[in-house]
Amino acid sequence: MDSIFFYRNSEKSNDSGKGALQKLKVAVQPNISVKGWPTEAGSAALADFKALEDAVVAERLSGQGANIVGSVKMSEFGFGLKGSQAGCALAEKSADAELMLDVAGEARLAAARAGVYGFKPSYGLISRIGLVGLIPSMETCGILAHNIKSIRDILQTIAGHDERDFSLPDEKMPDFSSQKIDPKKTTLGIIEEVLKDLPSGKRKVLEKELEDLKKAGFVIKELSFPDYSQFMLIHQIVGSVEASSCTGRYDSVRYGRRAPGAKNWNEMYLQSRGAAFGTLLKSYLFQGAFFQFERYNAYEDACRLRAQLVSEMQKLSAKADFLVFPTHNPAASGTVDSLADLYEQFVYTAFANVTGQPALHIPSTVDAGFQIAAKRLDDGRLLDLGDYLLSHRHGGKS
Amino acid sequence: MNYSQRVFCGKLSQEDVGRTVQLCGWVDAYRDHGGLLFIHLRDRSGIVQIVFSPDFTPSDVCQAAATLRPEYCITVTGAVRKRMEGTENPNIETGQLEVFVDGMTILSESDPLPFVITDKAMVAGVESAGGENVSEDLRMQYRYLDIRRPAMQNNLLLRHRIFQGVRQFLDSRGFVEVETPVLTASTPEGARDYLVPSRVHPQNFYALPQSPQLFKQLLMIGGLERYFQLARCFRDEDLRPNRQPEFTQLDIEASFIDEEFLYELIEELTVKMFAVGGIELKRPFARMSYTEAMDTTGSDRPDLRFGLRFVDVTDAFKSTNYSIFRQILQRGGCIKGINIKGQSEKLSKNVLQNEYAKEIAPSFGAKGMTWMRAENGKLESNIVQFFSEAELDELKRRFDVHDGDVLIMVADPSHSIVTSALGQLRLHLADRLGLIPENSFYPVWITEFPLFEPTDEGGVTSSHHPFTAPDRTDFDPKNIEELLSLKSRAYDLVMNGEELGGGSIRINNRDVQRKIFAALGLTEEDMKEKFGFFLRAFDFGAPPHGGLALGMDRTVSMILRTASIREVIAFPKNRSAACPLTGAPSAVKREQLAELGLLNLGEKEVLPGTAQKENLLDRVSWVSRLGIAEEERPVMETILEQADNLAALVQDLAVSEKPIRSVAPAASRTRPGAKAQRSTLATTGQLLKSAPAVKGNYFKVANIIE
Repeated sequence: MDSIFFYRNSEKSNDSGKGALQKLKVAVQPNISVKGWPTEAGSAALADFKALEDAVVAERLSGQGANIVGSVKMSEFGFGLKGSQAGCALAEKSADAELMLDVAGEARLAAARAGVYGFKPSYGLISRIGLVGLIPSMETCGILAHNIKSIRDILQTIAGHDERDFSLPDEKMPDFSSQKIDPKKTTLGIIEEVLKDLPSGKRKVLEKELEDLKKAGFVIKELSFPDYSQFMLIHQIVGSVEASSCTGRYDSVRYGRRAPGAKNWNEMYLQSRGAAFGTLLKSYLFQGAFFQFERYNAYEDACRLRAQLVSEMQKLSAKADFLVFPTHNPAASGTVDSLADLYEQFVYTAFANVTGQPALHIPSTVDAGFQIAAKRLDDGRLLDLGDYLLSHRHGGKS
Repeated sequence: MNYSQRVFCGKLSQEDVGRTVQLCGWVDAYRDHGGLLFIHLRDRSGIVQIVFSPDFTPSDVCQAAATLRPEYCITVTGAVRKRMEGTENPNIETGQLEVFVDGMTILSESDPLPFVITDKAMVAGVESAGGENVSEDLRMQYRYLDIRRPAMQNNLLLRHRIFQGVRQFLDSRGFVEVETPVLTASTPEGARDYLVPSRVHPQNFYALPQSPQLFKQLLMIGGLERYFQLARCFRDEDLRPNRQPEFTQLDIEASFIDEEFLYELIEELTVKMFAVGGIELKRPFARMSYTEAMDTTGSDRPDLRFGLRFVDVTDAFKSTNYSIFRQILQRGGCIKGINIKGQSEKLSKNVLQNEYAKEIAPSFGAKGMTWMRAENGKLESNIVQFFSEAELDELKRRFDVHDGDVLIMVADPSHSIVTSALGQLRLHLADRLGLIPENSFYPVWITEFPLFEPTDEGGVTSSHHPFTAPDRTDFDPKNIEELLSLKSRAYDLVMNGEELGGGSIRINNRDVQRKIFAALGLTEEDMKEKFGFFLRAFDFGAPPHGGLALGMDRTVSMILRTASIREVIAFPKNRSAACPLTGAPSAVKREQLAELGLLNLGEKEVLPGTAQKENLLDRVSWVSRLGIAEEERPVMETILEQADNLAALVQDLAVSEKPIRSVAPAASRTRPGAKAQRSTLATTGQLLKSAPAVKGNYFKVANIIE
């Protein structure tokens, strides 16, 4: 057990609280602030940092009666899953649900690893106050759980306007309540460029899933997205620039550890920051700094390309209600030694972070499972489809 | 359209009643009474009410008039009438009159306005609408609309009057207006230059003048004898509230004159300029030496509209038992104070101790502040028990203390800390206690500045510039002590604590000039390199001469009592030295830089602190302040290669879409009704808990320089 948790709450459980999440045991990661808890975000840059106040998500969870049981070991700043125990608490039943940032697909990949549902909500629904982020324009607070109902309940609790978070768009909150799905009126799209790249064994498994869905009455459409590979490119460039910018605050003045013996201010920064980040994350920040200071136009071009990808994805969404993707990339190597290894894992997940659309990992008993995505703010409908698939699999009895 | 018969709105008078006139201008405001339409028509001269009514206006004109909106530009014809009794408008000069319109042409329409222009209410007894609460950047972005406001027009008009007055006056005194170049050479002294690249001489630059100093002295050597110029000058300084990167100064220089000539000339000129704003200045202006100004007000630009002069009481505490004073005096320090007469009611013990002694005085650089209040013939204070009766009696005598007075004193081993802190306290108290009389103007000449200031290296540097004449020429250029005792023949004109301008009598004797350079530790070669062309001119019979420059933006702003100098400049820059109207300064095309040879400029020269930047890896590590360990270098080399490929890839794919930074941007980053406030985490010191090093209530960091 100790190997899963970074910090366990020793205080009495929150059983006085009443609300939609009463008695739900929720794990978080140490980049989600819970007042007084060590919140190091998996990095020496925040060594010994204790949260000064609750993150808005934590406050809202407790407000609805949830028990925040502890924080689970995480990768450095939640980027990738190296060193992360995300999802394990669910597999071992020491938590019913888990919150973690989905920066490039981490929540969905962790869910695939643990065999549970993993949901990345639409961008802009959940307050970021109290979350230690890395790529502000792409990451959202993801939810892992054993069932869709818990995900929906948590989403309804934590989503919504927050006075203090001025990065939240001023949009009307969509309705997340449960609705029935009519397969005959529902089109599922699969991108041929995605299918084509899968090894044949994996491809057959996914095609079998699609075949089952077709039998259940869904309309299956094969769609083309020639620019699909650009999602990774954009995530790499924009993500690294934002990460470099975002971690500028770790200067050993306000938090972290200061390298001893620096003779002046510049040396203090250089040495302390040099020691604060692990080589893998540092290489990402270094890449971002290269774009910022040496090739700024590449970042501008990437932002232009991102605009185009978002609008192309919107056009695709007009042709199908949902898109089906694999979650796990079978071609990715098991060990992550470099940035290139890391990004290989995100081949089927990063698109949703670039476009801000919601995506849900559906576990499977025979395979790593697969992913469904909807257009931005269609989170409620996406969860409805998840519900349908769950009950369909259980022969109509959920 | 023929405008030859046009008359001005604001010039109509009772004598015009009955006349048919043509008016041109803008719709300032309108009131629609269902068929009967009243409009305030505004031109530069003022406003007059025009009336459209089916009774006397043709129906097609009435229809067209119904489409009028604020700031439509129109011309009308009609008969001037006296207004009916009880409908006069005292808000406008022509409030007794109105014009019954019989013809109108809409000359051009206006979009809805970004802010209200009218500031004259249409009916009596109504507060004016006013456009003063508009953000200044919005006003500057639409400056042409802002200038339509009568207040701005008046500012520009009076600025013009002041400038015309200056020209006429100086002309009458035999001064010649000469323009000096704007594209000129960079001088190594003074503030930062604005540079202009030369295309013909690649990688060479003109500098915009910080002042025409050298040229005006050359004009004297050129025998022009009396010169002036309303010169545009440029300084690339960090912006302070009342500074502009470009500004106008009245530059004056004359030959065969002394200080008295300039005092007389400038005083008469200043009196004339201030008279334009209805301000009467008394002559002669006061004069105060630099030493006296510093000793009694702590400033070389003293505000003399109120008292609160310093009294030196150092020797009153020669043998004091109060240990703080004793230690300061042992270290050669001084003690000065101010008697704030009759203000003890407003300055309670609490205010003096908790605000002034604990917060305000330390923020002005003083280590502490001593205060005493005079009550019932005695001095009261938290430390009064440490002083002897004799010392307290001496204080009462020196400060001429009466009941109700408040004494404040600052003691420090450093004379300059005492005068500077006490000077700022003087201004703070005068402002807080309302001791500055409104609409009073107190000009003063500050004279006898020190010629040199000591440098940290034990030498001297010029206080003004190296061409300023010393008060005597028989000095030894190697005797630092003697050099520091020299006074300059420089003078500043100060009004109400602001420096309006300054100047000096210049050196015209080359031997004296050499002695000054020697004193500054500069060799002949050094000087030739810096000012060669200029010094050469002094080899050809330079006349004795001197002059002065007045900051005209500041002077006009003071005469017109505007809140900032931007109010008296037609197209000013904002606080970040940018122009919201034109977008200047702006990026330029690469080709333009290439044409100017600016693409690889400065590559050969190594900038300080950049020895490690030659290699790309080291450079990126340095700018991002990310230290890279030796064993990490191969990883980062690979990263740079890959990133370079990504950059090439994305450049090849480049599309013309507008770049997005977020898929769902917030419409507004400010929440309506939200107030800026300090986080309680900051006020309770909790933020400091996570810091690796703390000192008191601050984060502790390494020194900026070693």
